[in-house]
Order: sequence, then C-alpha cells, then structure tokens
Amino acid sequence: MSIHIFGIRHHGPGSARSLCEALTQLQPDIVLVEGPPDAEAVLPLLIDSQMRPPVALLVYSPENPQQAAYYPFAVFSPEWQAIHYGLTQQIPVRFMDLPQTHRFAMGMADKEQEFANQEQPPEDGEKAETESLEALPQLTPNPYDDPLSLLAQAAGYSDGERWWEHLVEQRQDSTELFAAILEAMTVLRSHIETNPQSPLSNLHSPLEPYREAYMRKTIREAEKQGFQRIAVVCGAWHAPALATMPPAKEDVALLKGLPKLKVEATWVPWTYGRLTISRGYGAGIESPGWYQHLWEQGKRSVGKASLLKNSTQSSLGTTSSSIRWMTKVARLLRKQDLDASSASVIEAVRLAETLAALRDRPLPGLPELNEATQTVLCFGDSLPMQLIQQQLIVGERLGKVPAETPMIPLQQDLQRQQKRLRLKPAATETTLDLDLRKPLDLERSHLLHRLNLLEIPWGRQQSTGNTKGTFRESWRLQWQPEFAIHLIEAGIWGNTIETAAMTWTCDRANQANLPNLTKLIDQTLLANLPQAVVRLMKCLESEAALASDMAHLMNALPPLVNVTRYGTVRQFETTTVGHVVNGLITRICIGLPIAAASLDDDAATQMHQQVNDVNGAIAILQQPDALEMWQQVLLQLADQQGLHGLVAGRCCRLLFEAGVFQPEDTARRLGLALSTASEPAQAAAWIEGFLAGSGLSLLHNPTLWQVLDDWVAQLSSETFTAILPLLRRTFSTFAAPERRQMGERVRQGNSHTPVFVKAGSFDSDRADSVLPLVAQLLGIAP
Amino acid sequence: MATTKSKTQHPDSQPPTPDPPSPNSSLLREHAEQQFAHELEELAKADTRQRPPNWKLSPWAVAIYLLGGKLDNGFEVSPKYIGNRRLMEVAIATLATDRALLLYGVPGTAKSWVSEHLAAAVSGDSTMLIQGTAGTSEEAIRYGWNYARLLADGPSMEALVASPMMRAMADGKIARVEELTRIPSDVQDTLITVLSEKTLPVPELNTEVQATKGFSVIATANNRDRGVNELSSALKRRFNTVILPVPNTIEEEVSIVQQRVTSLGRALELPAEVPALEEIQRVVTIFRELRGGVTIDGKTKLKSPTGTLSPAEAISVVNSGMSLSAHFGDGSLTASDLISGLVGAVVKDPIQDQVVWKEYLETVVKERDGWKDLYRASRVML
Repeated sequence: MSIHIFGIRHHGPGSARSLCEALTQLQPDIVLVEGPPDAEAVLPLLIDSQMRPPVALLVYSPENPQQAAYYPFAVFSPEWQAIHYGLTQQIPVRFMDLPQTHRFAMGMADKEQEFANQEQPPEDGEKAETESLEALPQLTPNPYDDPLSLLAQAAGYSDGERWWEHLVEQRQDSTELFAAILEAMTVLRSHIETNPQSPLSNLHSPLEPYREAYMRKTIREAEKQGFQRIAVVCGAWHAPALATMPPAKEDVALLKGLPKLKVEATWVPWTYGRLTISRGYGAGIESPGWYQHLWEQGKRSVGKASLLKNSTQSSLGTTSSSIRWMTKVARLLRKQDLDASSASVIEAVRLAETLAALRDRPLPGLPELNEATQTVLCFGDSLPMQLIQQQLIVGERLGKVPAETPMIPLQQDLQRQQKRLRLKPAATETTLDLDLRKPLDLERSHLLHRLNLLEIPWGRQQSTGNTKGTFRESWRLQWQPEFAIHLIEAGIWGNTIETAAMTWTCDRANQANLPNLTKLIDQTLLANLPQAVVRLMKCLESEAALASDMAHLMNALPPLVNVTRYGTVRQFETTTVGHVVNGLITRICIGLPIAAASLDDDAATQMHQQVNDVNGAIAILQQPDALEMWQQVLLQLADQQGLHGLVAGRCCRLLFEAGVFQPEDTARRLGLALSTASEPAQAAAWIEGFLAGSGLSLLHNPTLWQVLDDWVAQLSSETFTAILPLLRRTFSTFAAPERRQMGERVRQGNSHTPVFVKAGSFDSDRADSVLPLVAQLLGIAP
Repeated sequence: MATTKSKTQHPDSQPPTPDPPSPNSSLLREHAEQQFAHELEELAKADTRQRPPNWKLSPWAVAIYLLGGKLDNGFEVSPKYIGNRRLMEVAIATLATDRALLLYGVPGTAKSWVSEHLAAAVSGDSTMLIQGTAGTSEEAIRYGWNYARLLADGPSMEALVASPMMRAMADGKIARVEELTRIPSDVQDTLITVLSEKTLPVPELNTEVQATKGFSVIATANNRDRGVNELSSALKRRFNTVILPVPNTIEEEVSIVQQRVTSLGRALELPAEVPALEEIQRVVTIFRELRGGVTIDGKTKLKSPTGTLSPAEAISVVNSGMSLSAHFGDGSLTASDLISGLVGAVVKDPIQDQVVWKEYLETVVKERDGWKDLYRASRVML
C-alpha cells in the first residue's frame, strides 16, 4: 500500500501534463482530489460527451442561493485531468476537501461577525457576487494558492507557469518532480511558520487546519478500505500537511461537531473571461488562453517526444511554441484587416528570443512575446494588443454542460417566485393587468421587468391604452421552452433573479453608450434594482463627460430628473443622482451654444423639442443655481447670431414665460426677428418656435398681438404669399377655439385702439389746453 | 572620428568631425559620448558579457547606461531615461537583432535623447546623424559628389561625398535619422534597400558599400504632427516600433519638470526664485488630467484637448510663469502668472478646446480645495 501526493498548481497546464504522465505511470486504484465532497454525486457528468470545459462546479445552499461556491475547471486544470483519468479508468474518484456543508455553516457565523464590524452595504452587484465567491478559501486572492509563483518570483520569473515549464522540461522523471515540489513547499511553509512577521503569514486562513484535517481523514479512510495505490491531488501548498500524518485522534477531535447546512451541487457553464483575475475572482489566472495554448503545445510535443525519443526535443518544442503563438497572433490580426506578414512573424520571434536572452531567460515567456508583438506586428501601437489580450490571451471560450445536469439555483428561484406570486408559466398567451398600488401586483411587475432585463421576455408590456395614470400595467404572458436555456445561461450572473438582473445590468452598463444607458436606467427603475441604478449613475457620469453629442446629453437629463423626483419614494441614494444631474446641466450649458449653431431644419426641430424638455426638467428640479445657469444660456442663445429661428424663437418664449424678459423687451425682440431685414423663412421659423404649443399668450398679451399684427400688415403681398404656408403651419397647431378667437379679434379690426390707455387715467383739463394748438396745426381751426 | 575603409576613402573636403571626447565648457552642448565619457569607460571596464560584433558594450551594459544603476565596483551610473524599463530593453534587443528601430511618440517624450544615448552606448558615436526635413534629398541619405574632383578626375571613390548613413554602414555603427516622417516619401524609400539588403549601391562606379556588422538605424518620428509623410508599409515593416509614452506617474513627471525648470532658470538667469513644488505639481496635475481624460483620483472623466500637453510644454508653462512673476510680479510664482501660459498650452483650437477647458474649470478646478485662486484667475482670463 502506498500514498502518492501530487502537489499541483491550480489551473497550471504544466502541472496537468506532469500529473497525467505520473498517473499513467503509477496506475493508482483510487484518486483523491482537492474539492468539495458535496459535489461527488454530479462528478460522473464530467466525462459526458456533451461536457465542454470551461465549466464550474456550483455548490449552493438551496435555502439561500446567495450562498454559493464555484469551482471552475478548464481543460488544463490538473484536477480536471485527474478526475477525467479516474473516471475513464473506472476507478473511484473522491473529493477530499472540507465539505461546503460545513463551510457554509461556519461562514455564516463568520459573516455575521463581519457585518457587525463593518456596516457598509455592498457597493454594487459585483460585490455581492464576489462575496459569495469569497466563501471559498480556494478562491481568495492569496499568493499561497499559487505558491509556485512565489518560488518563480524568487527565481526572477514573472510567470509561474513559465518557470514551471522549465522545471518540468529539465526533468525526465516527473514523479521525482513532485517529490521536489513537496520538499520546496515544506521549506516554504516552515519558513512562514517560523517567521510570523513575514507578510505571507497574515494570509493564513482560519479554515486551513480544518481543510487539511479533513483531507487527511479522507486519505485514512481510503487506506482502511484497502486501496493499494492512492493518488492524492492537491494544491502544492497542502502537500506537506498531507505527507506527514499527525495522529488520527487530533483530526477527529478537530472535525467533531462542525455545524452543517443543507447544500446541493450542479455544473454550470463557465467562460475563460470569468477565469481571469480581472473579474475579481481570486484564484483566477491572468491568461487562460495562453495556458490553453501551452497545454495544446505540451500535448503536441509529448506526441513528438514519443516518436523522436530525442532529448533535444523539449527545447525544440518550446521554440515552436513561440512560433505557433506568434502565428496565431498574426492570423488574428489579419482577420481584423491589420497587416501581419510572415516576415514580421519571423522578426517578432527573433526579437522575443533576444529579449529573453537580454533578461537571462532561456526561453521567451508571455511578456517577451507580447512586447515583441507590439513592437513588430503592431508598430508600437497598444490598441491591437487589447484585441490580442481579449481574444488570445484570455480567450472567449464558453463551456457547455450536458442536458441532464441538475437544475441551477436561478431556475429554482424563478419557480419559487412564480409560486409565491401566483404566476404560472403557460405556453398559451394570457393577459395580465396589474394595479401597482397593490403589493402583490407590484412585485409581479418587478419580476417581469427583471426577466425582461435578462432577455427572457416571458411577459411583454402592452400600452395601457385608455386608462390614465401610471399605476397600471398591462402584460401579455407567454412561456417559451427556450427560456429554460436562457435561464441556465443567465445563471452566470447570479443565483436569484434579482441579483442576476442586477449583475447583468451592471455588466451591460460598463459597455453602454449614453442613449443606451438612459434606456437602461428607465428599465432598471421599473425593475426596482436600486443598487444597479447607483452603478448606472457612475457609468452615466463618466460617459457624459466624454459625450460630444449634445442631443444625447439633453435626452439623458429628463429621466434622471425623474429619478431625483421619485428617488425618495423608491429609496435610492439621491445624492449620487443629484451630482450627476448637476454635472449634466453644467455640460449642457457649456456645450449648447456651440451645438445649437448652424442647424438644418430637421436638427432644429429636434433641438427645439430638447430645449423644451430640458427646460421642463430644470423647472421640476427647482434648484436656483441650475435655473440661473440655464437662463444665462437661453439668454445667450436668444442673442446668438445665425441661430436657427426655431430655436431662437423658443428661447425667447421660454425666457418670456420665466419672466426674465419683460413684455416690452419681448415685443422688441419679436419685432426685431420679424423685421424686414430678416430672411422671411428665418422669421417664419422664429415665429413658429416662439408660438408653437399654445396661442394663448398671443390672445392674452395685447403687446404681442400688436407687434405680430403690425408685422403682417406691413408685408408686401408677394412676401405674404411666400410666408403664408409657414405661418399657417404654426397657426394650424393651435386649438380650434383659440383660432376662432383670433379670427374674431382680427375681424373687429380695432387692433389700432390704444389698448394700454385706460379712460380717466389722464388730466382732462391739461389735455384740453393742447387742443387749440393741435387744431391749428391740422388746419381745422374754427 | 570614424575610421575609413579602403572602399570609402574620405575626400579632403569632408567636414571636420568632432575631436575625441574632451570636456569643453565653452561648448553650448556636448555630445552624449563626450558628456558621459567617464561612465561609458567604467561600463566598458566592468562589462564582461558577450558583445554583439562591433558593439562597444554588451546589451546588458547598454541597458545599465540608459536606465542607471550601480556597477559591481561601486561606480554609480546616472539614469538617462526615466520611465519604463521594458521599453528600453525592447529597443536594445531590437538593435541586437540587426533590425532598425523607430522611436515614435508625441513631441517632448525624449525620443531624440534616447536615440542619441543608444548610439553613444552601442557604437560610441552619436554623430552619424541625418536630420529629416521637407527638403532632405536622396544625397543626404546615400552620397553626393565633390564636383571639383568629379570634373577634374572623373567619377571615383575620392570624388564621392559619403553621407552619415554610408559611413555608418562602412564602419558598423549606428546611424540616426531624426524626424523620419518629415522626409518626402520618395526619399524615405531609399532606406528600404539599406535596411533589407544592408547595402548601398554606387551604380556610377559599379560598386557598392556593404554594411559591416554592428550597423543599424535609429529613426525618430512624432505621431502628433499634421502634414507629415506617413511611412510606406514596406518601410514601416522594416522597423521595430517603440512608442515612447508620456511619464507614467505624477511623481516621475513632477521630478522631470522640476529638474528641467531649475536648470533652465539658471541658464536663462531668471531672477525669480525657484517655484514651489506645489505650483509645479498643480501644473503637472492639470496636464496629466486633461491628457489622460480622467482626474487623478480616477473619479471624473474629462474631455481631452487637441494639443499634446507633453512634459516639455509643462516646463515652458512654468518657465514663462516664472519670467512673468520675475519681471512683472513680486518674484514668486502665483496662479495668475501661470494662467496665461496654461490656457495657451491647453486651448490650441479656439472652439473645441475652449469647451474642454471651460468644462474642466467648472467641474474640477472649481470644486477642488485650495484651487480657488486658479479658478478666479482663469475666470478673469476668459
């Protein structure tokens, strides 16, 4: 009987390859892998023909799906290869880590303490997600997850994988290699334990002793059951703890009476993108695509090795690895219509090798290859490098799980909600009218809106039609079978409909432009996701700063002002929104005079509407500062030369209504705009902008009426005929009674009566004294 | 001075090349290999690594010369380039693979400076220089003729006037081309043969000058100019391109600006006192924020103006502010002394940049603690 411990690097293709070789050599009769024993039931699905890595094992508590742990696997993960080996060889495969059933229960207690200490609520959706991920020590960003990279750094390598590659390739016997790792780790661990001031020692998780005790317990059980060759696959860090077994009693005592929680396990599809560190996932790897490449290369050179049986093949294999990588890069660039000739690939490989030599590396690693790519293939430009980073270094691979995989928590959450809200999914179309004043209906509306956000259009909102009021919603429900698939895909975003919708919205917000953001904000408000709104505000703020299209900015303002107005009702943090709103107004005020210059008729019509909307929004806001700034801009616009008449007229009217322009001033401006020096078309546009919307001001302001009347009267008949259609356009928008009143007033024809002079307001005696002189002047003297 | 090979005898009419390195204080500016002759010598002594053919130092020692460091014997080498180490390594590795190097970047990012020091360290000679202008002719890159000799003796190697490129090829040294994109396109393409065939044919004499090992070309070009002659893709492909960025961190940039401002102020004999660090920090902050399109705290995004806002411009803003305060103010640098230079540097396009600057004032400067004086001063300017 023998126990063989293989200390590996999580997601290390080099580890995976040496492990495969070692396992084939050892022919074990049982494989123990570091992983959650709770998930053993779903393990056999791993060799299902429909299973495509990257996938993740999801262990969650059915009562509280927020509490979940993900164990992602890629094809180059040593654990994946070990399980795969065990299952295909039809020998028992067991997980040996501390079960999640205990960990969740222990984590609950921890978390309660944590929350008591810091009462800060999670910032946004992503935070909530990472928190649940942090339940797993394996996923926390501790360097000792990858202690090999610590050693690699000590040896002057930037990439632990590269260091490992060299280590692996210089050794013929890979079992000896694992012995060496065990030794290195033992030294590293004892160093940390004896140097408590070392920065690494703080990272010791309190769970560690429990986990290692459980691993030892599993190994002892396997021994007792009489297995002869036991292969133990664990993170290199744990290897020393499993190699020297303390008395079984200690472990049993430690593991006794651990709290328990009901958990379930399933597989979910994963992506390479989510394997990376940049997504806030701790034990992630920076370059899954590069590792995939190394894994494939490794398999290729192993194939060659068996043919050649030549000791020089290893270096040949790695050189060809750089060449192959460069060729991949070049092909990608060509696909994007960027020049990348074979000659450049040659030069790039040469540069990478020289760089490696300059840095005293035997072979180029990813940093050298990247620098060579940027210098030779991209002409120093860093933009194509982003493409390479995204498509090659990270990769866009999406995993697949078999159809018989157990249901994911998101599906269960939906079922629960459907039951609670008494909404049955049916393939036939039904209509549903909701009264949002009732709590049940409100929650139903939230659910439907959230599903819509997740692109599961179970319900389609109908226009409410004749019923007035915002408290009514009308939906048409129809469940499609493919929604189930959408749900599984959406499972990446979270384990409840609410968190999934929130995370998804936050993710979308990062990529959206201003108009899309505005739309998203509307949807998010309806779906009642206050945390997502906070995130959206942040995105909106930074987008608004860069937006050069004034129309987008102006469109974004009214919905935001609505948010501030209803904010208190829906319990948002309105200060963030207020800040964004102020920023928007400032930017609009600065940019508007330039944006409004030289518009054609269509653009002017749009601008006219937007100026109206913004004016309305600012009025709702009731902030004296903003109002004053806005009126300053309107004033500037009203005076701006060459501004389209429609906009200028509207500005004048808005200022008149706001009381900034006195009636006399307004009359003067109207006269000025309509004077003969102005182009008739321009004047007509001005009057349209000025009067559009309501004729009431015309009827009730005699000064205004007077000026307009004078203008019409002094037009020559040709000009009048030319302008008539334009005038008609404005006047036909007025309500019929208004038009009739105007007509009557014109027919009376006494528009020349000095309406502003009231009888009796002058001294008749003094007036009389003037009369003789007037009579004399007029030649009607008696 | 460059040693001559039999094939390319220098005619007597050759302009005199500089004397061997000797510290000469009357010179306005010394070549890199003169100014740092001592460091180069020490490096050569300590350098035991393998040197590529005709290199004065190993690539490893060249890297130390550029980036600074301490030798085993305790000799301190001053850094010539403050910034990303990896970029310099790429540049040196490029020259070691006999590829030509193109240094690209906005004005004021030390392109020519790096090129001069690279040439000085690799071949001990930074004078093989061709200045690119709109009027640079093919002769400047290949060779010309001494017409008196040509008429007297007929075409011969003696009547030929070699260009710096030709001399560099014959001697296995680094040739430098400044402002490559200013050279007309047809003249640029002369370089293609030189870079790919490593030879310069002289059809008149039915001969050629083949490059000796160690020859390479460092070209500089700037990517912000309008009306430049873009490189043809055939030529571009023969260069490894390294883009020199503006300084990475604010500390780096502040120290560069402060160092230059202090030394320039001394050279121009300005009576103003050396500006307070915080004023320089403020100018650099404004430059970095507008250039990067985001505030230093990373919270607010900004529009970027059309100008480059390089450290060189920051230096000139502080400098002009100093001279304003010295001659018209009280001698100490204040916001109102800085503001005119600042607005001039930022607002290059009267309409677009004006919007950028105003937005910046209203959204950032106005709300920042201790920046009220700057805000007020700029309101007066607008």
